[in-house]
Amino acid sequence: MAEFDEVNRKITLKLVYYGPAQSGKTTNLMRLHDLLAPDLKGEIMTLETQNDRTLFFDLLPLGFRTPSGWLVKLKLFTVPGQVAHDATRKAVLSRADGVVFVADSQRAQSANNAEAFQNLEENVQRVGLDFSALPLVVQFNKRDLPAAQILSEDEINQRWAKAPWPLVFSSALIGEGVKDTFVRLLQQVYPALDKSFALQEIHGVDQQSFVAAVTGG
Amino acid sequence: MELEPRTFDREFDLAELLTGMPLARMAPILTTLLDGEFRLVTVDGRLMLGRAESFAQPHCVAIRHDLEPLGYLESASADEACLSAAAGMMELMLQLSARYLMAADLHIETVQEDYASLKESEARYKALSEELEARVRQQVETIETAQRQLYQAEKLASIGQLAAGVAHEINNPIGFIRSNLGTAQQYVGDLSRLVALMKTGDIAQCRAAWEQADMGFVMEDFAALLRESINGADRVTKIVADLKGFSSVDQAEEETVDLNDNLRFASNVLAGQLKDKVELVLELGALPKILCLPGHLNQVFLNLLLNAAQALADQGRITVQSEAAGNEIRIRISDNGCGIPAEQLDRIFDPFFTTREVGSGTGLGLTVCRDIVQAHGGRIDVESKVGAGTTFTVNFPIG
Repeated sequence: MAEFDEVNRKITLKLVYYGPAQSGKTTNLMRLHDLLAPDLKGEIMTLETQNDRTLFFDLLPLGFRTPSGWLVKLKLFTVPGQVAHDATRKAVLSRADGVVFVADSQRAQSANNAEAFQNLEENVQRVGLDFSALPLVVQFNKRDLPAAQILSEDEINQRWAKAPWPLVFSSALIGEGVKDTFVRLLQQVYPALDKSFALQEIHGVDQQSFVAAVTGG
Repeated sequence: MELEPRTFDREFDLAELLTGMPLARMAPILTTLLDGEFRLVTVDGRLMLGRAESFAQPHCVAIRHDLEPLGYLESASADEACLSAAAGMMELMLQLSARYLMAADLHIETVQEDYASLKESEARYKALSEELEARVRQQVETIETAQRQLYQAEKLASIGQLAAGVAHEINNPIGFIRSNLGTAQQYVGDLSRLVALMKTGDIAQCRAAWEQADMGFVMEDFAALLRESINGADRVTKIVADLKGFSSVDQAEEETVDLNDNLRFASNVLAGQLKDKVELVLELGALPKILCLPGHLNQVFLNLLLNAAQALADQGRITVQSEAAGNEIRIRISDNGCGIPAEQLDRIFDPFFTTREVGSGTGLGLTVCRDIVQAHGGRIDVESKVGAGTTFTVNFPIG
């Protein structure tokens, strides 16, 4: 649920990168930090253990000023993917305005993807969000791996044919699909935001300029 | 959705990010770095650290966190470069502070969450264990009911065996009493005829009839058969008196008794059922009286004696011994019958273990014996050798 701060004239959004352990959530954030050029871009804050696994979360703040002079601030979080950190995942997911589900394309990870997706669905409900109304993009990452090791795009498209969410293929390691995923999420987040805060009417930000401002064109 | 009072991902202001920082030590450091007095103020002008009064013409650098300025560092003495460097340093410190605050608050959130789910699962387990307990109680009740019914069946089986023995025992005297009474009836007929003749006054005819009816023998035999019948009736009386020892099986009233009396009684009941070539030997030593349920112990002794008798088939010897040894009463019931094979010996006290044909035993006789003995604080042991015989030893504590 976006935060509306009338005193400081600031709207704060929370977007969460969710998914199984080591599917590339942190890598997504790091690439976005490099790829995006919004008006305002903070430093990436990571809390990781020695073996490069996310302990609590990573955070990347992005933002822009609206023509009306308001600050729109987007906080991009990742959750720890390991099964044991469920309470942390739930706390990070709380109050989210949109979610990117980062799946691992490797065949061997199919079960973990399914488990993590189910965990997402359960936790969304547990933190009091409406799963059917939550902006969500499903990203299949690690497309750079050898074809024998990963599910083909056809297979994945077939499996997710009935799902209502946008599907993006990516290779976060080399930066492909990362921005596209993020743009798809922003496009879904905008309508709710516009409805709540009259972005277009009062602040002069339509969907296209919203995406452009956050990504830097 | 209602926001938590302190969510880890909230927006921090300068004051909050400075909490926990050693401001007292930072002030002189900043003074040195900035070559004189300084002011650290929030975006809305509140002083956080440094000189209270405003500078007339300060240099001023924003302190940013995330995307926005949270405050300003002001100095009249430092040049822009120094001031920017100091502000940059402050920003790094605020970033670390934010990192710590977020991690700490997230930790608190998850701990509370874990605690909540712990309590929830605890409540679930409590409910589950209560349900299990109720089910166990129900099962125990069912088992106890079944057990009571089986014990009742065993008691009835024992009483059945006892009744068979008693019937045989009573049948014998009743048989000859009945036969004697038949003969007596005949004799009375003979006497009646003589009385009628005597009324005619014909002494000669009377005498002839007397001789013909062999009345000398009749009178002798009449007396003898009455004597015999009285003895028989006495025997029946005694058997009935003995039976009263069993009538108290259901009365769980404790009495102080000499167990030798119970052994004698059970032996008496058994004696009637023994075949002619079976010898029953009692070697009873003096025993102190003990408090017990006599009816139940009668059942134990009779059961053991019946088992001994069954082991003997047609001939042999059953020995019943009692003695007071130390602080225990020891009772041994032995037979020199067929014995029990070693592989069955461990199981004879198990419920429903029987070597008899289906229908002729409940398989509970010795189980009941053991339970009764244990209820009296005693123990029951068995020794046996195939072909040589079996000895059951029952020990009861004295006092």
